[in-house]
Amino acid sequence: MIGALGQVTFQQWRAHRLRTLLTIIGISLGVAVLFAVRTANVTLLSSLTLTVEKLAGKATLQVVGDEGGFPESVCETVKDVPGVHVAQPVIEVLANTAFADEGTLLIVGVDMLGDRELREYQFDEEGSEIADPLVALAQPDSILVSRTFADKYDLEDGDKLPLYTSQGRREFVVRGIFKPEGIGKVFDGQIAVMDVFNAQYVFNRGRNIDRIDLMNEADVDVDQLAKRIRAAIPGGIEVTPPTARGEGIEKAVSAMRIGMLIASFIALLVGVFIIFNTFNIAVNQRWKEIGVLRAIGVERRNVQLMFLAESVMMGMIGSLLGIALGYLLAVGAERLMSEVAAKIFSYVATQQPPVFRWDYAITSFALGTVTSLIGAWLPSRAATNLDPALALHNIETRQREAVLGRGRLLLGLALIATGLLCVAFAPLRVSLDYQFVYPLLMLSGLILVLPKMAELVARILRPFLDRLFGTEAVLAVESMIQSPRRTTATVGALMIGLSFVFSTASYVQSYQRTVSQWMGRFINADLIISTSEMARSRTYHFSEELGRQIAAIPGIKRVENVRFLFMPYAEDSIAVVSFEMDGWFARVNDPIDVGDSNEARQQLLAGKGILASRNLTTRYGLSIGDTITLQTPTRPFQLPIVGIIDDYTSEKGSIFFDRKLYLDYWRDSSVDMIDVNLEDSLRQDPAGAVLVRDRIQQVLRGQHRAFIYTNTEYRKWVLDLIDGFFVINYMQTAVAVVIAALGIVNTLIISVTERRREIGVLRAVGGLRRQIGRMVLLEATIMAIVGVISGTLAGMMNTLFLVRTAASMVGGFTLPFHFPISLIIIALPLTILVSLLAAWWPARKAVNLNVVDAIGYE
Amino acid sequence: MRMIELVDVSRSYGGLTKVAALSNINLTIGAGERVAVMGPSGSGKSTFLNLVCGLDQPTAGTILIDGVDIGILDDDSRTRLRRERIGMIFQTFNLLPTLTAIENVALPLRLNGMSRRVAEPRAVAMLKRVGLGGRLDHRPDQLSGGERQRMAIARALIFEPPLLLADEPTGNLDSQTGDEILDLLDQLHGELNMTILLVTHNEEAIRFCDRLVRLRDGRVVNDEKMERGR
Ligand SMILES: Nc1ncnc2c1ncn2[C@@H]1O[C@H](COP(=O)(O)OP(=O)(O)OP(=O)(O)O)[C@@H](O)[C@H]1O
Ligand SMILES: [Mg+2]
Repeated sequence: MIGALGQVTFQQWRAHRLRTLLTIIGISLGVAVLFAVRTANVTLLSSLTLTVEKLAGKATLQVVGDEGGFPESVCETVKDVPGVHVAQPVIEVLANTAFADEGTLLIVGVDMLGDRELREYQFDEEGSEIADPLVALAQPDSILVSRTFADKYDLEDGDKLPLYTSQGRREFVVRGIFKPEGIGKVFDGQIAVMDVFNAQYVFNRGRNIDRIDLMNEADVDVDQLAKRIRAAIPGGIEVTPPTARGEGIEKAVSAMRIGMLIASFIALLVGVFIIFNTFNIAVNQRWKEIGVLRAIGVERRNVQLMFLAESVMMGMIGSLLGIALGYLLAVGAERLMSEVAAKIFSYVATQQPPVFRWDYAITSFALGTVTSLIGAWLPSRAATNLDPALALHNIETRQREAVLGRGRLLLGLALIATGLLCVAFAPLRVSLDYQFVYPLLMLSGLILVLPKMAELVARILRPFLDRLFGTEAVLAVESMIQSPRRTTATVGALMIGLSFVFSTASYVQSYQRTVSQWMGRFINADLIISTSEMARSRTYHFSEELGRQIAAIPGIKRVENVRFLFMPYAEDSIAVVSFEMDGWFARVNDPIDVGDSNEARQQLLAGKGILASRNLTTRYGLSIGDTITLQTPTRPFQLPIVGIIDDYTSEKGSIFFDRKLYLDYWRDSSVDMIDVNLEDSLRQDPAGAVLVRDRIQQVLRGQHRAFIYTNTEYRKWVLDLIDGFFVINYMQTAVAVVIAALGIVNTLIISVTERRREIGVLRAVGGLRRQIGRMVLLEATIMAIVGVISGTLAGMMNTLFLVRTAASMVGGFTLPFHFPISLIIIALPLTILVSLLAAWWPARKAVNLNVVDAIGYE
Repeated sequence: MRMIELVDVSRSYGGLTKVAALSNINLTIGAGERVAVMGPSGSGKSTFLNLVCGLDQPTAGTILIDGVDIGILDDDSRTRLRRERIGMIFQTFNLLPTLTAIENVALPLRLNGMSRRVAEPRAVAMLKRVGLGGRLDHRPDQLSGGERQRMAIARALIFEPPLLLADEPTGNLDSQTGDEILDLLDQLHGELNMTILLVTHNEEAIRFCDRLVRLRDGRVVNDEKMERGR
């Protein structure tokens, strides 16, 4: 029996190759997206960690400060701790060459005298005249580069390598080329080594270093040693094994990771839905076959078994393909993410093949297979419960698909209401993982009411379409209404795909709007000069000298230095922004949202208080008068909050205080941004800012790598940065839409096959080929319209979740709801176009139908 | 007046092992004639009807409908011919399950570009004529077999075509209902005087035709004029 049923299944696959293929593609895409996102995520982390480990060499412990670094004197303290074998200072800077492409280069500053005990440098002996390249580093213009880098720029020993440094453009001399192994592999070989004291100078680190790499003596316990070192050095400086630093990096890039978490959740949802949908349609289509099997004496149980076995088979094939495809996709996704990591967070990844995690593969595989099983189980149960006599009857008596009951509708509405209430009122203390339930509730509810909604929309559209397109439109509408299951599956896929597009866009736009308003209030320098095209660089800074140089340019009234870094706070970190507050206060009117303005102003200028962002105070439950404590390189920084402002600088929360305080506590004169204010006469002139910008550019050209923006440009650029940050989410939603389009092809092909006879009859009573074609295309169009309408609804609900729940979870602020009407207006014709493209092949199939066969007795 | 003319018409299927469904048929049927086509299963009756209505093309020979060689028409013209000048009814009714009686009957008119407002009153009139005045908004699955066939007849005759093709229209019905359908066709022939080709196994049906063509193995084996039995 089973063998015979297996044959039936196999014949079905052969007869409906395309359907089988689409089913399997649907499953694989669902699995692939999920697997790719998770794989890319672990790969990124592992390649960031790999960088740390490779750079650490043989070090067993690392003494790591915050972004500002710590005094080099700490190194002497550490060296004196008993049990320390070697301890070496390190500085890492992500700098740029002054070659035409201004390529990025990771510069590691080490003390060449002792470093060889920690790190092995394998130098290319070939053709090298330098006896000991590490010793050669003593010459202040020396630099060692990797073979990969040297080959890229055609450099040899003795050649000049120009770099942009905080002191302006500097030419270094290549005095050694190391092999692309060990440290030479880091950041794909874009790595160079120079003397640590030289690096301190050219990158404006004062007497600070970033890190100490150390090795314990053979008989010393590493944990014990770490404790002893911690006791000996100032607070706020971490002592950890290099292997444990991944966690810290993970935290630093957490904003991106949360983005990815949301993305992988979307991937999961879309994947599950697609697979479910695919089977739902496929099994539904075969009720007649079920009737035949039942009629010839196959038990209900066995018919169901046949479908389930088939679904498991397809699920397994699709999942395997999906994992393979996902692995490939992960390569691209990881590349993209590591670019973001390097640009935004200055953490460089060492390229490696995607990490293949068996647990991810197995869970993805299981998910694909189980979802297929569930996807097939419900409809196959419905189908096997069908009266075989009815199933076999001719088309007129075909049982109409179960009309969707009131119960289902009520349940759907209840789910939507619950989801909305949760979004509106649920406390935010719950972990983000559980909060994801809300959009899930709303979406499930929408899927439940979707058939009614589709019917409603179709009925409303019917008279208009009738007038516009005549009877073909009526037939298309009826065909949709009469097969709610088939329609819902397709429209549902479209709805989910579009809702993600809409809500992502809407979130980004809401965010941009808010940030834009905020910038309008606070960003009021006429020109802003930044170290990086990504707002700031963690490792590369300007010197105060540059500010002085710029201040001398005619037309400039005043120049203010801004330092922006992240400091550890509580279990996380916060943005610490210091600048010259008197100038700022003079320009911004009444910037303080909570607290006494005058009082706050006095305290701030006197260096007796700080400003805090509202998301910081909300997140940590702080208010005016509470103190914030930070560990600085000199002594604990402990100051009261004197004012709270609505601020969107960082999703982690920010504090602001006067630069004098920073210089005093951190002993660091680095500058991340320079605010430039013009002479009043030039401020009146609309072209004034551009004029001065050009002057500054003239001065900096070839000397400094700086990004100069006028106020307007700066604001636009920040908004673009936000866009760029969401690029991965956009990619996700694009995949969702592609999958939805596949769903349309599948549904329409099934629709055409299922209605072979109807189409035959239409042709027999005088329907022209083009009328038949138009009917199929119209069906696709109506599905697209219903999809956009329901996608808009679902997108609005999703957006509510994002701007309220998700935003406050991630950033501690809620955003005003803003829905991208313009995007929907663009999406409608686009979706219709995609649907029409998807419908092209099914329509052709319908048009070329053999009428005699179709209306025969089959 | 010649309504249908077949000249040396053959239709064969298959590649290497050819099956001749029809071979060398020569037949002329006049306007208003009622012809019963009989023969054992597989003798080519349905093939014959499909050729006449242009759904199928002969492998050899010429078919003229109303003097027009349908072999040289393109697909659209053949479809229009079928829509306006040939009515068809089937054993399995072949109605569209999603449409009401009115919509089913109005379908050929609508396909012709007629608006709903114009088409539907005509459909209602035709439904009344076949005795379905009380079933206008029912869907096929809400009707009995006889009523469905009436609906199919109404659809076939909505353009009042000069030619009606019926492939075992009583095959799915009990004999009493079948007789009612034959009576209806008789009555409508009296009103519209269309040519009728009636494929049937039903000996009863012969009585209402004036000519009987017998097919066997794709050939005409008998062609006789008949006395009207009724
Ligand atoms: N599409 C086809 N391919 C191959 N052979 C066909 C095809 N259609 C019909 N035939 C053959 O042509 C012959 C005539 O078929 P047709 O359907 O015209 O017979 P019929 O007289 O209508 O039979 P019935 O009374 O059973 O309806 C049969 O032998 C059949 O096998
Ligand atoms: Mg037949």
